[in-house]
Formats: sequence, C-alpha cells, structure tokens
Amino acid sequence: MFAALVGFLLIGNLLLAPHLTAPALRTWSTIFVAICVQAIPFLVLGVALSAAITVFVPPSFWTRALPKRPYAAVPVAGAAGLVLPGCECASVPVASGLMARGVTPAAALAFLLASPAINPVVLVATAVAFPGQPAMVLARFAASLLVAVLAGWAWQWLGRPGWLRIPSRTTPPDGSRVAAFMAAMRHDFLHAGGFLVVGGLTAATLNVTVPRSWLASVGDVPVLSVIVLALLAVILSICSEADAFVAASLSAFSPTAKLAFLVVGPMVDLKLIALQAGTFGRAFAARFVPLTFVLAIGVSLLVGWVLL
Amino acid sequence: MGAAVNRMAQSLVLTLLGGAILRVSALSTIYLNYVKPGFRPLLVIAGLALFVLGVLGVMQEWRRPYADGAPTAPAAEEEPRHEDGHGHVHGFGPKVAWLLCLPVIAIFLISPPALGADAAQRDDAPPPRPAPQDAYVPLTTDRATAMPLGEFIGRAWGDANQSLKDRKVKLVGFVVPSKKKGQWYLTRMQLRCCAADAFPLKVSVLGLSAPRPDTWVEVTGTWVPTPYDQLPKGTVAPEMKATGLAKVAQPAEPYE
Repeated sequence: MFAALVGFLLIGNLLLAPHLTAPALRTWSTIFVAICVQAIPFLVLGVALSAAITVFVPPSFWTRALPKRPYAAVPVAGAAGLVLPGCECASVPVASGLMARGVTPAAALAFLLASPAINPVVLVATAVAFPGQPAMVLARFAASLLVAVLAGWAWQWLGRPGWLRIPSRTTPPDGSRVAAFMAAMRHDFLHAGGFLVVGGLTAATLNVTVPRSWLASVGDVPVLSVIVLALLAVILSICSEADAFVAASLSAFSPTAKLAFLVVGPMVDLKLIALQAGTFGRAFAARFVPLTFVLAIGVSLLVGWVLL
Repeated sequence: MGAAVNRMAQSLVLTLLGGAILRVSALSTIYLNYVKPGFRPLLVIAGLALFVLGVLGVMQEWRRPYADGAPTAPAAEEEPRHEDGHGHVHGFGPKVAWLLCLPVIAIFLISPPALGADAAQRDDAPPPRPAPQDAYVPLTTDRATAMPLGEFIGRAWGDANQSLKDRKVKLVGFVVPSKKKGQWYLTRMQLRCCAADAFPLKVSVLGLSAPRPDTWVEVTGTWVPTPYDQLPKGTVAPEMKATGLAKVAQPAEPYE
C-alpha cells in the first residue's frame, strides 16, 4: 500500500505535475495547501499540550484549579483562554484532553470557544489591524468571552451526556509516560489532522467558488450585513490570528458587522466544524455549532450597539 | 481508502506529512507560496515533530513481532477500545487519517504555485482606501524609485502631498488582463496570514500592450493623477503611464 503510494508520488511528480495546470485547479490547490500548512503547526502544538495534560498533569490538579460547581467553573475556564497563544486548531484537542481529565465538559467548552479569540497574540493583532480604534479590541474581547461563557452555561443547562463523546484515556501505571505521550499525540494528530483536511477541502472550494463581489451589495443593510459577514467568517476559515486584518479590509461594512466576523470566525468555521465533529462526535457538533453561531451573532449585535 | 489505519501505516502517514512540511519549509522556500515568511520556524518545528514521531513509530513497529496489524501492543499503546462508527477499531487508528495524504499528494504532485492572475481576477471586492497620511518620504527626480505596489497605491490615494506627481517609479508584479481596452493590471497579492486570506493589489498600466497573463514584469512609469474627490470609495486601481517594461523572475517572496 505504502510502497504504491510513494511510487505514485515519485512517478506522478515527474509525469503529471507539468500537466495539472488548469488555473482554477491551481488556485484551489494553493488555498487548500495553504490552509493545511498554516494550521498544522497550531494543531501540533494543540495535540502536544493535550497529550501533556492527559499524561503528565494529575487529575487532582484540575479539581483544585477549577471551582467545583460547574456553573462557577465555566467563566473561570473561559477566562483561562487568555493563556493559550494559539489559533482555533490548537484549542479543540486541548479541550478534549481537559475533558478526558475529568474537567466538566461545559467548562472545557467555554475554554474551547474563548481561547482562540481572547489570547494576547490575537488581541495584539486586532489592535494592529484597527489602529486608533481600541474599542474594537475591547468589544472583541468582551463579546467573545461572553459568548463562550453563555455557550458553556447553555450546555450545562440543556446538554445531555449522550450528545458528547468524551475521549477516554488511561494513564499508564508505570514509567512508560513518554511512550504514552507519544501514542496520545500520534492518535490525536492523525484524528484531528484528518478532519482538518476535510475542513480545508470545503473551505478552499467555497473560497474559490463563492464570488466576494456580492458582499459589497449588502454592506449597508443593518442586520443582514452582520449575518452575511458572520457567514463569510464561517466559509473563509481564516486563522484567528489573521482574521482582524481581513475584517479591517471589509471597508463597506459597519463596525458591528466586522465585530460579528471577529467573534464568529474563531468559534465557528468550516475547518473547526469538521474538527469538532471528528473529536466530539456528530451529535455534538450538530447541536453545539448552531448554538454558538446564534449566540455569537446575538452578542455581537448587543456589544456592537453598546461599544461601537 | 477503506481500510482502517494500522499502527505501521499511521507512522508512515506522519513521516510523509512531516517530510512534506520539512521539504517546503526547511529545505526550500516553497512555503512562501502559502504563508507569511514568519511561519518558517513554526513549520520547521512542527515538521520535525511529526517526522520524528513517525520515524520512532516505524522503528517501534519494526522491532515488535508484527502479525499483520493484529493488536499486540501493551495497554498503554492502545487506541480507545470501542467501535463508534468513526473508524475506531481496536488497535487501529481512525480512517479519516488517510486524508492526511491529500496535502502530501498536493504538495508533491501539483506543487501548488503562488496565487496568480486567476485568483486576482476572481476577487473583485473593492480594495480598502488607505487612510490619508503625510509620512511618505519625498521621491528623487533623477532616477526611477523602486517601491512595493502597496506603497504606490498608498501614495496615489492616501498622500496629501501628492509625492508621486511627475516622479518615475519602478514596480514589480504579475500581469492580469483588464476588461478595459488598452490597459492591464500590474498585480501583487497581499497576505495577512496564509493564501486563503489573500487579496490583490492592482495598478492599471497604460501605454504598453499587455504581456501574457501571469508573467512577472518590472514596469517603469509615472503616476497618472486622478482627482481625489471624484472617486467612489477606493474602488479603482490607480493608473500609471508606462515607459519601460522588463521581464523578471518571480520573486522568492511572491506576496506583499
């Protein structure tokens, strides 16, 4: 199987590469590879942290670090998102590792939503992209944290255990922790990476097929423009460290619509939906993704109305 | 693609993917077609990590008596012990992992180039109008000044002192055909993070016939001033009257 694949690659590189030249195919393949290449370092960081959490950090640490009552643990975990300097690809495996370690799912989900949007790297990038508009940074921080906490509480209140597949892991009894770390990393990366590719394929296809010129026509309509930019954030699947620059360049839109773009992007996008469905199960994604999307739009409208 | 991924194949997928990432980042500058230059250290570290993880896994499998993928490992190495419709079979990895071969195949087979005329024509969204500023350095009169396309556009639309007026400049970019007769676009894509968020910077070139699309050229010429206030919000590429044209190689860093 693998000899065949490697042979196929070598021969293909010589024989086929000069002929695969259709311009649209090249654009598509560049965007697809770019999404994968850009996300893989963060995914590696995420699975390494996740494996470290499950193998090296004892479960008792989390019971001491987080409040016992789930409703109190949610905001604490959301605020803890401040410390993980990565984009959204890193946060899915980390949240899964936290759940495997006994952290309340609602709290781990709040962390999952908050960390890609409110970490220092992203906030600095936002400040650079919107020079002279510190309100945008504040609004992004406040709205993202609020959505994360509300979504965590909603899951705690309404969620059923059966909807969420929590990856189970056992700590090795003796000294083979390094082997366990590597096995966990290998499994998590292959799993999450496969779903990242699914997301990358979809995002690249929509990126190439959906013309962006139709966006300009709805820029002035108040609520519709917010929903359109939120959908654009889902389709484009841009890394949360770069989305502020893209938002800033959408000059035809209101600040509130741009805020919605910044709040939705790190929480709901195509590659993230694929990653969540793969990690926590389809039943989970089918409920959690719409919940987050609606909350993100509502909170963006509210925060945009108050702050921007 | 139907088979579940046994541990040997898992390790080989990781090795291939790590190798592909190292190939584009550590061993060449191909990665510049996809992401910003600052990504290189991250890519090298991630590529090395995957490569080492894969190679160690292969060595481990090599040493173990190998019975056609049958689960022989100690408990600590096992995959989760349940079958849940997502491809988890006892002792095997997830089926979806096969998909990780796709970027590897794309990198080696298509070796996707930097975004060119096709992507630039696709994206018709109006470029944002740069904020007016007066920090631009005055240009010399005795020779043509080389500058990035972004700076030219910034000086054209956002410079209160009109520092471009009657000055020769040299711009490098690729050729994109225009719908208007007698002109074409000199273009460079601008990245924020990766090629998925690229958008085109365009300058209309007048006075020269268009080379083939996607050709990289260096154009010498002067700015054609347009009345600043008569424009809709920055929707038009600034115009340039060209006097000289030279074909150049694609720059190592194709994006601005």
